Amino acid sequence: MFWRVLRGSLRESRGRLAVALVAIISGAAVSSALLDLQFDAERKFTREFRTLGANVVVSPPSTGSRTDEESPVFGGEELQKIISVSNGGQSGVTTFAPFLFVVAHSAESSVILAGTWLDEAPRLAPWWKVQGQWVSNRADRQHCLVGRQVARQLKLSPGSSFEVTHAGRKINLEVSGILSTGGAEDNQVYVNLAVAQGIAGVGDGVGLVEINVGGNAERVQNFVTELAARVPELEVRPLRQIAQAEGQLLSRLRMLLLVTVALVLALTGLCVLATMATLAMERRSDIGLMKALGGAMPRLVRMFLAEVGLLGAVGGALGSLLGAVLAAWIGRRVFGTAISARLEVFPLTIALMMAVAMAGATPLRLLSRVRPAVVLRGG
Amino acid sequence: MGVLVELDRVSKQYGGVRALDQVSFTVEAGEWIAIMGPSGSGKTTLINILGGLDSPSSGRVLVDGRDIGPLSEKDLTRYRAEKVGFVFQQFHLIPYLTAVENVMLAQYFHSMTDEKEARESLARVGLADRAEHLPSQLSGGEQQRVTVARALINHPALILADEPTGNLDEANEELVVNLFRELHGEGHTILLVTHDSGIARLADRRIELAHGRLSQVSVLST
Ligand SMILES: Nc1ncnc2c1ncn2[C@@H]1O[C@H](COP(=O)(O)OP(=O)(O)OP(=O)(O)O)[C@@H](O)[C@H]1O
Ligand SMILES: [Mg+2]
Repeated sequence: MFWRVLRGSLRESRGRLAVALVAIISGAAVSSALLDLQFDAERKFTREFRTLGANVVVSPPSTGSRTDEESPVFGGEELQKIISVSNGGQSGVTTFAPFLFVVAHSAESSVILAGTWLDEAPRLAPWWKVQGQWVSNRADRQHCLVGRQVARQLKLSPGSSFEVTHAGRKINLEVSGILSTGGAEDNQVYVNLAVAQGIAGVGDGVGLVEINVGGNAERVQNFVTELAARVPELEVRPLRQIAQAEGQLLSRLRMLLLVTVALVLALTGLCVLATMATLAMERRSDIGLMKALGGAMPRLVRMFLAEVGLLGAVGGALGSLLGAVLAAWIGRRVFGTAISARLEVFPLTIALMMAVAMAGATPLRLLSRVRPAVVLRGG
Repeated sequence: MGVLVELDRVSKQYGGVRALDQVSFTVEAGEWIAIMGPSGSGKTTLINILGGLDSPSSGRVLVDGRDIGPLSEKDLTRYRAEKVGFVFQQFHLIPYLTAVENVMLAQYFHSMTDEKEARESLARVGLADRAEHLPSQLSGGEQQRVTVARALINHPALILADEPTGNLDEANEELVVNLFRELHGEGHTILLVTHDSGIARLADRRIELAHGRLSQVSVLST
């Protein structure tokens, strides 16, 4: 009988319930999409932030950044230690590369020759834009990437060759690609490490090592501590601002998402509330009659809650499916990455929507005040 | 047969309106009582109090020896489900339930549904072939017969009918009145409000209300 009454009243009020259902579906879609984003954000953003380059720099004491000209160098022995720590399974290091900077000359003007592992560059500095070809092999001693300003100054383009001298040594380089970054690199010529080491005459010495450690600030700090212990003669500096900015952005994003979800749920609840208030009025006479026939209030309340709960469950299920699509779309359009729907969001959304629907159904409680004698008189 | 209902100086006050004023009478089990009186004289109020839909302001209402005045809301609900069968002037059926489901609803509130029994009850009021119809698909007379079937389904001690023929044409009125005659013949206790003295004549006794007071109790010789 319970189900017959449920079915009957669902059919009877399908117009109003459809309005509430649409509200619940939209609410569920938006909040589940946001929850998908929220769950995905941490994972996603830590990965996205890794692409922002190095967050740890190792260099001889009291030298500045890699733009320092003729900076002191350290030898291959230390580099090997750094490599072994970085390659340790627990280090969290995603990529790293050594750098050596040499001030050289070409066609009467001075250029900064930067030596590194050019095959690592796309990973360590993914924002670099290269017109032409990257240099994909770190053993390549012939090709180079020329910064945009240098290329303009020396009238170089991909395929052209030029000569570079330093301390009486001379090398011939072929331009593989023109590099534009909007930073200091635009004024530099990038070659493989061995080329720079050769012209500088420093053997296997390097000026600094840039390392990217994935994960949160704490993880970065742990790595810095570990590495500093292994190479005490070098300075190991975390580039804190990146790790902190990452953390801050994440927690702000999380706040924003949660506040939005709360708002959406509140709005959904209000919409259900308005519908249910009307419905309660419409059902007064039916409820009065059921009471007159001996229907106890808890029983009648259960019927309504089942109805509303069902509405919430159906709305939540449909909405979270829609939300998964929405999340994927937002991911693609707004963040340019694939946001995958999380399985746990489905039951969570359904439960949330049932709760919201029940909360929105509080006007139905007014029905417990319905006096059958009054209703049956037509009041 | 013993006394089933006893009213002892029952009054009902609605704000400044005294709908019932010191009404006392008794009803024997199996009796058919017609309640008459002009509009506003308190007939519906009396039926509602007997049916546990309303409580008296003062006085005692004994049904089966139990005073229903002090009962809690919950106990009154139980009382209505178990002891009373209502037939209203405006039928009052659930619009989205079929005839048989409307009858089953009373079973459901009483104890358990029994579709077979519900259909038998409909058959007895001549509606076997209308069981699957919604109220909106039934004529007024048919709807009222569904409410009679619903009132009977739980074998109530008391059948309370408030102008059951008030909204019916003559042919349907006769059908419904005949149903009450049958029920009376089977020993049901019936209190029936009517403006029709022809119907009232069929009852064992007639109670007249005027301004909430009992103006006349007539015993009809049978
Ligand atoms: N809920 C209420 N609040 C205030 N006054 C009420 C209420 N219910 C009934 N009354 C008043 O009580 C009096 C008796 O009403 P009742 O409905 O019992 O009359 P009735 O005899 O059934 O009339 P009718 O033949 O028109 O149905 C009337 O004056 C009515 O206005
Ligand atoms: Mg009346």
